[in-house]
Amino acid sequence: MWSLAWKNVWRGRSRSLTTAAAVAAVVALMLVMYGFSGAAQNGLFQNLTRTSGHLVVRVKNADEVREFDLGLIRNAAALKTELTGALPEADIEAVLEVPALLAGEERSRGVVLLGLEPGGHLMKEFGDEYLAAGKPPGGDDWSAALGAALARALKVSVGQSVYAFAPGTEGMGAAAFNVSGLLDLPESNMEARTAMLTLGVAQELAAPDAASRIVIFLPGLKTLAQETRLEQTRRQLAPLIPAGYELLSWREAQPALAAMLEMLKPMILIYALLFFVLAGLLVVNTVYLSLVERIREFGVIITLGADRWRIMRLVIMESLLLVGSGAVVGGLLGGLALWHMSQGFSLPGDLAKQYAEFGLPEIMYASISPAQVAQVFAFAALTAITSALWPAWLAGRLEPVEAMRHVT
Amino acid sequence: MQAIVAAKNLHKTYKSGGVETPALRGVNLTVAPGEFTAIAGPSGSGKSTLLHLLGGLDRPSSGEVWLQGERIDDKSPVRRARIRLWKVGFVFQAYNLIPVLTVLENAAFILELRGFPPGERLSRARAALAELEMEDYAERRLNQLSGGQQQRVAVARALAAEPAVVFADEPTANLDSKTGQALIEYMKRLNHEKELTFVFSTHDPRLLEHVQRIVHLEDGRIISEETVN
Repeated sequence: MWSLAWKNVWRGRSRSLTTAAAVAAVVALMLVMYGFSGAAQNGLFQNLTRTSGHLVVRVKNADEVREFDLGLIRNAAALKTELTGALPEADIEAVLEVPALLAGEERSRGVVLLGLEPGGHLMKEFGDEYLAAGKPPGGDDWSAALGAALARALKVSVGQSVYAFAPGTEGMGAAAFNVSGLLDLPESNMEARTAMLTLGVAQELAAPDAASRIVIFLPGLKTLAQETRLEQTRRQLAPLIPAGYELLSWREAQPALAAMLEMLKPMILIYALLFFVLAGLLVVNTVYLSLVERIREFGVIITLGADRWRIMRLVIMESLLLVGSGAVVGGLLGGLALWHMSQGFSLPGDLAKQYAEFGLPEIMYASISPAQVAQVFAFAALTAITSALWPAWLAGRLEPVEAMRHVT
Repeated sequence: MQAIVAAKNLHKTYKSGGVETPALRGVNLTVAPGEFTAIAGPSGSGKSTLLHLLGGLDRPSSGEVWLQGERIDDKSPVRRARIRLWKVGFVFQAYNLIPVLTVLENAAFILELRGFPPGERLSRARAALAELEMEDYAERRLNQLSGGQQQRVAVARALAAEPAVVFADEPTANLDSKTGQALIEYMKRLNHEKELTFVFSTHDPRLLEHVQRIVHLEDGRIISEETVN
């Protein structure tokens, strides 16, 4: 019956080709969309965790703490040493964020002074990725790298001085800094209110031996698919976390961004449903017209002894073969496109820069899981079956004598 | 000997738009195994309706149809399809072959519906085509055949399935007289050599010279029967 179904599919060649081409386009498009979604998710994941870490230790409910001193991890160096002992392969760093007023000769702005460990992972990331001019702050030098937008706002440039005021803190509370460099940060809001200095300097200014958080970078964690490692590490480190502090995954520490990542999945599913419904309408039309043109032939087959279930099966087989042909071609085209995108691609024109604001890297790499490929083909199979149900039901109800008298 | 086909007080009335049209009015008929029976009568006499009822394609308004000792008129459509598949062969006036299939695939089609493995169904189909002298056309498409050749393929399709009885509804009506005579000769030979039971309808008096038994039908009633020696 498969052979008969296959021959029947290609009887109305141009109609079947049009339908198969539509299915191919949908399958290829869905594979590319999944690949793009994977690229975007992995890119976002890498971008987010590159500066925020995969795990973070901070004061419990730190987001709700308003006072600077209540949000601090005390004896941060000791806790960091303990964590490093348990997880020697990871990069573990203390970060101190100090809310301050930063002033140039003429203007001042409210900023966050970001104290990072010199030579550490974060300082290197910021230096490699975002340093647009000058050099990162370093050593015992009281220097700071300013967001380029902040420097413009303060009307200062590399080599000039700025003055930081951090009243109500536990350190010196005020200091002058030399502008060592300028940072071109991906988020304009962050660029307008960030100044980077060394952790030691930040601690001396505002909170000796304290940190706002301790961030943990797990080596080799590049994609969301590898995320299961986080939970294992978290269980391993949990006993080392003192009372009053908590160990959070990057998702818990940045719930809004994590939710944005999760939103991509249902969005793709909605698109998939929409596209497959449209393709399904075309399949219904093709299968139905094919039935109408062959009512007499169906009557003959029923007369020869095929019962209604077999007739329904024949119609569904035809639909499966029609959609399957399109899906195979679409799979090949989509696979080729995915392979090309997996070598690295960027969004056209200014889109790359616009999306960088949301944390997307400029170069992305398509990524699709076997489950997603299976999902696309399962959607195609489901489309074939559901599109054929109504024509199959009609065919199954044909009376042989009436059907054989039918004139097309 | 038990009748292979039997009709008991068969009535069939078609209803359309509130109008009732009687097609059969109390037909009683038995066909013994191995008979070569013609149902003769003018157009509209009820020949096709009778064959459809005897073959389990339709249900009578009243009366009974028996096939090999099993009553079939009260069976569900699915059950009647199964009975047709395994016990009945059909040959139609318009050949009714499947155009996308080759001659051989058409001849093997019923066996495929029965679920026979490819090797067996094709060898049986080839043998049936050989009986009708169509084996050389096995791989041809139907549009490469004449009407008479297509009708021989239709007979081969029925023959390959080795049914209990073959119902042929005006099998020669679309053929010229010479081709029609030749087809009847093929059918008669199969009847003799394989004891295959044939019941066919016709309104061509020249074909009636070849049959054993003629049932004359008029206005839905059997008006006479004759046996030819």
